[in-house]
Amino acid sequence: MSQPPTHDLDVRPLLAAGEQPFDRILETVSALPPGAALRLIAPFEPAPLYNVLARKGFDHRTSQRGDGDWEVLFTPKAHPPPEAGLAPGSNPEAMFWPEPAQSLDLTGLAPPEPMVRILGALEEMVPGAVLFALLEREPMFLFPELSARGHEWAGNHAADRASYRILIRRGHGE
Amino acid sequence: MPGKHLARWTLSWFASALSFLLAALALAVPFAPAPGAWLEGRGLALVHLLALGWLSQMMIGASLQFLPVLLARPLPWPWLSPLSLALTGVGTILLALGFIGLEGGGTGLLALAPLPLGAGLGLFLLMAGGTLLPAGGWRDDAGRPVLLALAALILTFASGGGMALAGTGGPVAISPEALPFHVGLGVAGWLGLATAGVSYRLFAMFLIAPDGGGRLRRITAGAALCLTGLLTLGLGLAGHWPAPGWLLPAAMICASVTAGLYIADIAQVWRSRRRARPEVNMRMTRPALAFLALAALLAPVAAIDGRFAEAAVFAALVGWLSGLTLAQMVKITSFLTWIQVFSPRIGKQKLPQVHELVDDAACRRWLGLWFAGAALGTAALLAEHAQGLRLAFAVLLVAALGIAREVRAIRRLAHLSFAARPPVLPPLFLPQLRMDPT
Repeated sequence: MSQPPTHDLDVRPLLAAGEQPFDRILETVSALPPGAALRLIAPFEPAPLYNVLARKGFDHRTSQRGDGDWEVLFTPKAHPPPEAGLAPGSNPEAMFWPEPAQSLDLTGLAPPEPMVRILGALEEMVPGAVLFALLEREPMFLFPELSARGHEWAGNHAADRASYRILIRRGHGE
Repeated sequence: MPGKHLARWTLSWFASALSFLLAALALAVPFAPAPGAWLEGRGLALVHLLALGWLSQMMIGASLQFLPVLLARPLPWPWLSPLSLALTGVGTILLALGFIGLEGGGTGLLALAPLPLGAGLGLFLLMAGGTLLPAGGWRDDAGRPVLLALAALILTFASGGGMALAGTGGPVAISPEALPFHVGLGVAGWLGLATAGVSYRLFAMFLIAPDGGGRLRRITAGAALCLTGLLTLGLGLAGHWPAPGWLLPAAMICASVTAGLYIADIAQVWRSRRRARPEVNMRMTRPALAFLALAALLAPVAAIDGRFAEAAVFAALVGWLSGLTLAQMVKITSFLTWIQVFSPRIGKQKLPQVHELVDDAACRRWLGLWFAGAALGTAALLAEHAQGLRLAFAVLLVAALGIAREVRAIRRLAHLSFAARPPVLPPLFLPQLRMDPT
């Protein structure tokens, strides 16, 4: 197996400046391309991170450096666990996708209008770009069309089940 | 995509159901029994062609399409659908022939019919139950009535099968005293509650209204549970112990209360809609619900007077359930046809809107005629007027033919300009083997 691309993040300057590194670490993880690993360097062992990143599908390997600081290599698990609460068929890697380039609020529209707007918007987007849409219900008729066009998606109901959120990454097809 | 199936056989179910409706009405015009004689062979044959062939097949076809959509859960074993369709169709035909045999000619088919019918309904129950139960359907406002409806379907089939075997001297026999409970479970339990459950979601979707649910829906489900329980009790007692005199009237009052609560709920959905001008399917749902109200008013009297019982069953089966089904069939067919033909082209060319597939004025006219026929038939049964009832069936037949013609026009995209029509149309009612985005 080839070595995955590794991104380095040294949080020692942040800590020295008195800032909390946690958000910065999560931001970096969110921006990692699929399959990429993260090498984190910190002045102490960042044990609380292990669980957080395990839930995001990462294994960790920790070592203490010669200068006494800590180095942790977070590598994506071979089979990331499906995100709790994602609808079946969702792409579990959606958490690594870039920030949505476009957001659509499609509540209050009768079917098939939400599907028409989503597929129309995707046609205008560049391959790899992500679309976020808020809907009133799970768009069951949209899914076969997304897969036929080579787009990937991940979605779930809001906690109160009154709306449905979906992220769609435009495929590289025509 | 794994786990995401769209029902492919919906329009085949619709076509089969519509054929049963047209056949039943065409036979009813010359052969309908006079009011008061609907428990004889011909009457039973016609009622079952309508209740099983037409309404149950429509309900099954629509459920297999919409349960996965409404519960956001795929249907298990969707390939059972065509098998279930064929078996319920054959079973219904055998049953109708068996009933006609009661008037002379032998009852062999009557004993045979429960086999294919039970197998076909059983396959449907597997698919529907396999969607509803793992999805926790009993926690869902729309799922509860549908689950009760499935239980009522099992009891309706068991009691009907038992009575059919009693007629042929078979080993498992159910006394004819079970009949009113069999009818109640079939019409109010299975068809009524399934229609109510599915309508909660579909109406909210068609009217763009909040899909709230809430307390009223839970109270309605409680009344429906009470109704199903009393009818089941009556079925259990029949032929073993004399059923207490209050049991059937109490069940019918329960049915009326359930119907009243349901109508109040739908009226609330209607008022909270965001769509200023509802489409023809929803506008024509109002007369169907008026027939439900009429049936609910007749039901308590029906428990003690056979004339009212026939009128109540007719108002429910023909006015409410058939009227509602015909109105929604137009909408569902146009929607599925649009998805089938145009979804591969979205975002790539200018597309017609779904409502452009439908001739609203024609649908309104035919549905209006349907409700006129239903009103005439109910009045004829109440007035015990045999010719009036035949005339009502003739009116209903003309209306059904008109709607069938409209459904065909929707499938053929006949209301679109030639330029807006794709060069190749999908099959009229059989599933498409492969979606071809040409």
